[in-house]
Amino acid sequence: MPDLFKLVLQIAVILAVCRIAGSIFRRFGQPRVVGEMFAGVLLGPSFLGWIAPGLSAYLFPPVSLGFLNALSQIGVVVFMFLVGLGINPNELKKHGHAAVLTSHVSITAPFVLAAFLSLYLYPRLSDDSVAFTSFALFMGSAMSVTAFPVLARILIERGLLQSRLGTVAIASAAVDDVTGWCILAYIVVLTRAAHSGTPIWMTIGGIVVFALIMIYGVRHLLGGMEVSYRKWGGLSENRLAFMLLLVFGSALCTEWLGLHLLFGAFMMGAIMPKEQKFVQYVLDRFETITVTLLLPLFFAFTGLRTNIGLLKGGEMWMYCGLIILVATVGKLGGSTLASWLTGMPVREAAGLGTLMNTRGLMELVILDIGLDIKVISPALFSMMVVMALVTTFMATPLLAWFCPEKILRIELAKSPAKEPPLPGSIIESNGGSAA
Amino acid sequence: MSRANTNFILAYVFLVALPVVGLIGVLKSGRKLTAPISVDGLWQLQADPVRLAALPCGKTLAQNPNTALVISQSGKNFTVSLSNDPKSTSSGVLEGNTLKALLVPSVAWSAGCGDSRELSLVATVDPKADPRSLAGLLSVNHCPACASVEFHAVRQTPQLKKGSH
Repeated sequence: MPDLFKLVLQIAVILAVCRIAGSIFRRFGQPRVVGEMFAGVLLGPSFLGWIAPGLSAYLFPPVSLGFLNALSQIGVVVFMFLVGLGINPNELKKHGHAAVLTSHVSITAPFVLAAFLSLYLYPRLSDDSVAFTSFALFMGSAMSVTAFPVLARILIERGLLQSRLGTVAIASAAVDDVTGWCILAYIVVLTRAAHSGTPIWMTIGGIVVFALIMIYGVRHLLGGMEVSYRKWGGLSENRLAFMLLLVFGSALCTEWLGLHLLFGAFMMGAIMPKEQKFVQYVLDRFETITVTLLLPLFFAFTGLRTNIGLLKGGEMWMYCGLIILVATVGKLGGSTLASWLTGMPVREAAGLGTLMNTRGLMELVILDIGLDIKVISPALFSMMVVMALVTTFMATPLLAWFCPEKILRIELAKSPAKEPPLPGSIIESNGGSAA
Repeated sequence: MSRANTNFILAYVFLVALPVVGLIGVLKSGRKLTAPISVDGLWQLQADPVRLAALPCGKTLAQNPNTALVISQSGKNFTVSLSNDPKSTSSGVLEGNTLKALLVPSVAWSAGCGDSRELSLVATVDPKADPRSLAGLLSVNHCPACASVEFHAVRQTPQLKKGSH
């Protein structure tokens, strides 16, 4: 039985620290999520456990973390559903060569550089129970991810969502996320299948059958929800509950098939109808509790697993610096080069690269999976968390530097007025607690 | 084919297709790399309880026959703690197949350790044993009169989720 007093106390402390840190970061022009991610690290062994080990041991005893983790995972399951919901593959088609090339290069450049870096890091930060292929592929997918909710938040704050920069960035980030999750799915299947009795072809076959059922069966069922929404201007509580049931059912299926809960939730969101008002309506129903209550628990849980104290000595910090450098050169540099080659002015291209380099919560979700399946070690996990924080933190000031207001106004004036390509998503409500 | 399309195809080949080929090469060459031996997990300690009890700092270990070493590994570095005393966490280093660590006693089991004493652990991993096993010595630093105690440990938790070859 959980110690309810301890659990409620933990939640209260986490919410308070996350809100305070989020507000402080907002004052410095950062998205709230950066502050919340930072708050999570503050609550862990890197800070609280270091300066007040007694208080840390009282607040977060190891035996109590299972309940906190369970709650945070439910939050991430719903969050991944909302992320999938926000993705609209048709957006990519609208932006032609620029989006196709930018999105693909923004995956391959950091991915290949991460694989090269793995040649150096694998003998130093891994062990012989992890295959090099799993290690390198994981590093690649972790470095090529883009947090499009944070990206969308930054675009909204700067009034760029309807600009060419904004629409190409959103479309490219969507492709990045889908691709990143497909690669991660492959790694998880590979890793888990090796240690279970089920042959890998059965796992993959099961996933393919599941995907076909989702796309050709469940998708039509969901289409009925959109029809009902259009007819009545909303969805009944029963229909919303049924939607949640489908999300958890889908998550359970992928977990049972040997993948991970989050893939099912993401897929359910991805196959939902994409009519803008309907998407916004569903987001409005689910995001408040998810973003204000459950995601901070995830940040805290991730922070509790992050131990910057493991980065002892100059050598470990050098590895960490290399990771940040490679992640930034690959993502920012690759995206900038690709968009510049497709005709984007150099400053705008650099702005796009900066946006694509934003990793945010999506990175933490992927890293948590990597640590769970032990493809990455605790020290490497901590380095990657630092990389996620740094690359997310640098986005706003770098964007302001590459694309000053004056240039953006000129660019915006050229852009035809149109509907935003994405709903406000996990973004606009709650004071902008973008994840 | 328009000039724009040609440029796009060329850019795609150089920036996407070629790097993917490079990736395949990296993955192939990386298979030859060797990483440090895996010691991550829970290791059930087996040692003579009488000799352990006689060892300063060893009383708590002797009183708990189910004591295990909890090792969390990051490459050649690792942290180690006792399963019945998570506060005793210390760091260690792996040199080839040999583990070296100093266990700093926490309040819970420091009785008998003295002020500046630490439990030193030096052990060799048998990589061929399944499950992996450790054999080594536990001794007390700054205590020339204290005899070392031999111990044996077997990795308990199967690495079910670990990345595979």
